[in-house]
Amino acid sequence: MPNEVVITGMGLITSLGLSLEENWKNLVAGKSGVKKITHFDASSLNTRFAAEVPPDFEELSRTYIKKRAASQMTRVTRMCVTAAKIAVADAGLNFELTDRTRCSVIMGVVNTGNSSAEKDTTPQNTVFKTMTNSMPAWISLEYQLAGPNYAVNTACASSAYAIAFGYEMIRSGQSDIVIVGGADSIINFEEIQGFNALYALSVANDPPEQASKPFSRDRDGFVIGEGAGVLILESKSHALARNAAIHAEIAGYALTSEGYNIMAPMKDGEGMAQTMEMAIKNAGIAKNEVGYINAHGTSTELNDRYETMAIKKVFGDFASQVPVSSSKSMLGHTIGAAGAIEAIITVQSLKHGILPPTINYLQPDPDLDLDYVPNEARKKDIRIALSNSFGFGGHNATLVIKKH
Amino acid sequence: MATITETTKKEVKEIVYSFFAEECEVDIGQINDNTSIIKDLDGDSLMFLELIEMFKKKYNLDIELKVIGKYAVKHPVATIGQLIEMQLLIIEYENRLLELDQ
Repeated sequence: MPNEVVITGMGLITSLGLSLEENWKNLVAGKSGVKKITHFDASSLNTRFAAEVPPDFEELSRTYIKKRAASQMTRVTRMCVTAAKIAVADAGLNFELTDRTRCSVIMGVVNTGNSSAEKDTTPQNTVFKTMTNSMPAWISLEYQLAGPNYAVNTACASSAYAIAFGYEMIRSGQSDIVIVGGADSIINFEEIQGFNALYALSVANDPPEQASKPFSRDRDGFVIGEGAGVLILESKSHALARNAAIHAEIAGYALTSEGYNIMAPMKDGEGMAQTMEMAIKNAGIAKNEVGYINAHGTSTELNDRYETMAIKKVFGDFASQVPVSSSKSMLGHTIGAAGAIEAIITVQSLKHGILPPTINYLQPDPDLDLDYVPNEARKKDIRIALSNSFGFGGHNATLVIKKH
Repeated sequence: MATITETTKKEVKEIVYSFFAEECEVDIGQINDNTSIIKDLDGDSLMFLELIEMFKKKYNLDIELKVIGKYAVKHPVATIGQLIEMQLLIIEYENRLLELDQ
């Protein structure tokens, strides 16, 4: 009988806050973390705004990471390690009392953020700042964990993949605890210029906080965000044996590839629909048990159209009864971190019985007619929720999360 | 081959102690020659390389890193005192360091 997998710890750092509580409060209030870019001079770019993590993150990270180690990490890696340490503390874990050979780390990492926006890179720390395995490696080093630690890169679905792989390691009995998640920031000149060239980013510069408008008629592209989300996955028996508080359970997942296009999702959301179908089947639940979908919801023309079509295809007549919201309307798109950040928000929704809204939903798209939880959070007691992540390259992931 | 004076010894010791105090965020008074770089200070091997670079510049040393590497394999450094001793040998012998083992 496979092990059941529960979530016992969470750490969240985004543009809306440096703690789980602060983030949740702002998400429920429908606040936007999107502002004018301060990391560098963006005045010559078509897009001059992003959802930046507040500057007091630096002070917070100094309380978690020693100066010596910090000098070998990028700001993004520090976000990841800080979120991991917050999650470990939240889980009440003491690794001195744990078999470290059965503890693993898997992080979704698209890049480490060692870009032109990164400060204090020297020849001595270039390699450490750039190596894409640095995030899981530092976490493993910090706690001297002896299970495998590695990074997975599936673009915007990276940290959702990390959660799925961590889930499998526990299900199969290879690990008791897996620290999963991811961190990312592509708020730098080159990446924004590159995404602008693909017409993927919103250029609605004024006012920036209204630029991310998933599922709206006037959506014009995604808004870049940054942040970190880390979860402690644990076998239910291990968590119960140490009397750990359980946030929620992972009920199942699906990962698929579209084999279609390096950028565009498969026509009519066929790949997205297949992923949700498989995840529901994998979790052994009925479709009418799904009480909420935390959408990928990027605010791009194609994603929002196809994700809506996919949800309608999967749920049929029941689709109109499933609330769907996009956290990216408030946090922007945190790329490699998005899957984990949004999984944490989904857990919070299950725990608190509140669905965070899709903000900036002022002009409904007549073609997109689901319940997008427009503009205001909603109280709703839900038992099971889906979290979708879809990445450039055709990487799809759907996680099924269950209330504990 | 340089001559190691008492002034050089004092200078090297001060630099090493200050470097570890600063980088490892410990009070300099907590460091002595028997302090373990890894166990007591949570230091790393890169610190050794950084110190070598500092001393190479300060004393205008002609020494290749591979020479130090070969020497260090046979004479591993674990404590602050051992590290200072090796730095002094590096300053004194430079690229002739391996001759000490012949």
